Amino acid sequence: MIMPLINGLKITLKHMFMKPVTLQYPTERPNVAPNFRGLHALKVAHNNAKCVACYLCPTVCPAKCITVQAGEDENHDKYAAVYEIDMLRCIFCGYCVEACPVDALKMTQTFELANYKREDFIFTKQALLEKK
Amino acid sequence: MVTLTIDDKQVTASKNATIYEAAKAAGIQIPVICHDKKLNPFGGCRMCLVEVEQMKGRQIPACTTPVTEGMIVRTTTDEIIKARKMVLELLLLKHPIDCPVCDAAGDCDLQNLTYEYKVNTNRFQDEKFNWKIDYENPLIERDMNRCVHCGKCARICDEIVSYGAYSFINRGINAKIGTEYDGPLNCEFCGSCVSVCPVGALVSRPFKFKARWWAMNKVKTVCGYCGTGCQLTLGVKDSKVLTTIYDENQGFHNGQLCTRGRWGYQFINSDKRITTPLVKKNGSLQPATWEEALNVVSAKLKEAKSTPDSLAALVSPRLTNEELLLTRKLFKDLLGCDNVDHSAGYAHTALTSGAKESLGYPASPSVVADVQKSDLLLVINADLYQTHPVLGFEINLAVKRQGSAIQIVSDKKGKLSKLPEAKTSIYKPGAELLVINAIAKVILDENLLDSSAQSTGGFSAWQKGLESLSVDQAADQCGIAADEIKAIARNYAKAEKALILLPTGMGYPGHGKELAQAVINLALLTGKVGKEGSGVLILGEKNNSQGAADLSIHPTSGGKSALDIIAGCVSGSIKTLYVAGENPVVSYPNRKLVETALEKVEFLVVQDLFLTPTAAMADVVLPACSFAEKDGTFTSALGAVQRVNRAINPVGESRSDFRILNDLYNAVSGQPAFTDVKAAFQELSGTVAGYAGLSYDTLGDEGSVRPVSGTATFVPVAAAAPATESGKLALVTGSALNHSGTLSVYGEGPMLVCPEAYVELNREDAKSLSISDGDQVAIKSSTGELRLKAKVGSRLPKGVVFAPYHFADASINTVTAGSAVTFVTIGK
Repeated sequence: MIMPLINGLKITLKHMFMKPVTLQYPTERPNVAPNFRGLHALKVAHNNAKCVACYLCPTVCPAKCITVQAGEDENHDKYAAVYEIDMLRCIFCGYCVEACPVDALKMTQTFELANYKREDFIFTKQALLEKK
Repeated sequence: MVTLTIDDKQVTASKNATIYEAAKAAGIQIPVICHDKKLNPFGGCRMCLVEVEQMKGRQIPACTTPVTEGMIVRTTTDEIIKARKMVLELLLLKHPIDCPVCDAAGDCDLQNLTYEYKVNTNRFQDEKFNWKIDYENPLIERDMNRCVHCGKCARICDEIVSYGAYSFINRGINAKIGTEYDGPLNCEFCGSCVSVCPVGALVSRPFKFKARWWAMNKVKTVCGYCGTGCQLTLGVKDSKVLTTIYDENQGFHNGQLCTRGRWGYQFINSDKRITTPLVKKNGSLQPATWEEALNVVSAKLKEAKSTPDSLAALVSPRLTNEELLLTRKLFKDLLGCDNVDHSAGYAHTALTSGAKESLGYPASPSVVADVQKSDLLLVINADLYQTHPVLGFEINLAVKRQGSAIQIVSDKKGKLSKLPEAKTSIYKPGAELLVINAIAKVILDENLLDSSAQSTGGFSAWQKGLESLSVDQAADQCGIAADEIKAIARNYAKAEKALILLPTGMGYPGHGKELAQAVINLALLTGKVGKEGSGVLILGEKNNSQGAADLSIHPTSGGKSALDIIAGCVSGSIKTLYVAGENPVVSYPNRKLVETALEKVEFLVVQDLFLTPTAAMADVVLPACSFAEKDGTFTSALGAVQRVNRAINPVGESRSDFRILNDLYNAVSGQPAFTDVKAAFQELSGTVAGYAGLSYDTLGDEGSVRPVSGTATFVPVAAAAPATESGKLALVTGSALNHSGTLSVYGEGPMLVCPEAYVELNREDAKSLSISDGDQVAIKSSTGELRLKAKVGSRLPKGVVFAPYHFADASINTVTAGSAVTFVTIGK
């Protein structure tokens, strides 16, 4: 009767002297794995987003959270005039990255996406551009 | 019929069929890139290679090889797949892999075949092309780097459109599709080339980068411009019509569209649409709620019920049959007002009085299939190509592919005059009736009439009416030599199958009742009515002109016709005028008179998509829906009743004409006229001749040609010599190819090509008046004066000028007053 209680307390006592598994977030930061699927980023090349607005990411997106609108630039080339991701709908599956034919999209290790207003969860192209 | 074996399957096919066609009919798909069912076989791409046992297993193209009895064909052996893969590899050698930015992706034959045949690698290596891309024209972007040399664009432009804008130029590896002197494209912009391009070498500029093919809903409907009744597929995304989509299996025209049908869709989602009802307060139109606006209108209608003569309605033939029926019920049956008309009256009398009196029904006795079965096409006015372009394509095919002869009798030359061996006889403006009567007279004189003619009612009276006509004198007066008239008459009478085509419209005041009767008389005289490939096609101008004629949307018991309604407004006898979709200020004769009338009328309601010059003068404006926002049926000029399907939600607060009229009916009578569109069609099929037996649900995508029946009689038509005024130019009005009515000016596509009103002059006249192309000129007539841009060409005979009527600014009705010809002076 008493033995299970003692055994249980043993484990408790053992953990008192072990390194804690909890993280004192936000003072302590987690070590995020390189293949973690966090906030998306639009890759930049030659000071421009690499995205050519092919619409494959909104097509493949199972959560339908990506909005793209293509535009025509002065050289008659296609670019994303609008590129928005609704983070409230995103399920971070990473299909968009996989579908991208020009390797213009990646998922970063940023996981702190909390915000105060619903509108702030819609990440615009400017917010998504890769920060260097 | 021949029987052959394709992939171990017994197939029976017509002896004129190719292996490709026989296989397709049997459900066996053979891949093609350069083949199109509308075009002659080409055999250029080598994708359709098949093995025929009798040909020692050699690989032969299925699209060019006719079937023979007992042929044993294999379509998918290892060898064939290997060969097809190589064809794709060689195409991909030069084709840029820019699918992510190419608008054809998703609808690209090369992309689909590459995927199907798993061509992942390429054994060959070469540089890509680096041709300059043509961004210069407003509608078609030509990127020859993507071209796979199937030649479909050049062939469709030549075979069907008969324009010939493209051709292969250069040789060997440098061969490409080029234009005139390899310059920028400058054609009639029908976009047929874009529709058949298997890759993204030719793409639509207005639609460029707007949406991917797979993201759009494709909604089948009927074009809302002219009376040809072409079926249309709209590409819709997020409740916006973004483009028109080519579907080769649609309609008699196999998906072929004209410039306005293909590019004129932007008016649907135009920023200029009215989105809320407007009510005039303190002298200006203010936004109002539907309740408020409908209350004002229904109160006026209720008030007018006691004095129905003071009420009038002008209704557009762009409305659906159901809406027209509702108009009839509201104004004629409920309010007891017979002052209901459309298209200025004169634009439909050819059908509603002409054909009705001569044939017993207000429609053409022939159908579209007759065009390609005819031996001789007699076209009255070369402008037929401008008013009904897709019918023009049918004529091109009849002449070029079926070998029909074509005789054009017109006041000017046109594109049809350029067809092989086309004969064009130019009469003096306004002499069309005299020419037709003179032709009939020759047939009588030379005893070329059909044996059935004399037993047809009214023959002797009609013959008597023609007795005094002298062919030589008529020839003198109309400007066509007597021998030429005689030759036309002989050819027409002797042709076993001959079809007369007569376009009508707001721009053609001369093409009214008399002319329609004259051509019907001519057809009856030679026994050409009721025979396959023969007869008369009287072509209503708008998408549902024929429906409006069938439904008698015109005064039927002594009411006022459109022009009398305008006069009634001026004199004060009409106090309330309801205008649904019409734009009389721009399209009716004599703009000043119409404006006075609309100013004077006490209460004016306009129900329209846009704040047209007419709507701007209204007391209440009700925002209506375009054809893409409503359900219903249109009846084409060729007699087909076809379903219009709702593609998008109504723009803003706009409501369909059906709903507006039904609400008004409810407000006046206490109960709505119909529960829905389907109920309206049901009543229509029960009350309108020819529509019996049609059901809204079974019309399907194809639609159905409604039958006509009646007793034909000769109706005497007197023709006077055309008026002339020395020293003045004869102004004739009409349609421009890019425009239809006053609606297309709100579409971006037509306005990119034909943005403003113009007056077309003959080179010699221009020279003697020292006017050059593009000059602003003043046109003066007894009705008014107008400044327009001059267009100098060789289409018109000397002494004749032409102006289209579509444009609200500088509308030609400022100088015209409804006569067939207006005499004007032109100066700088």
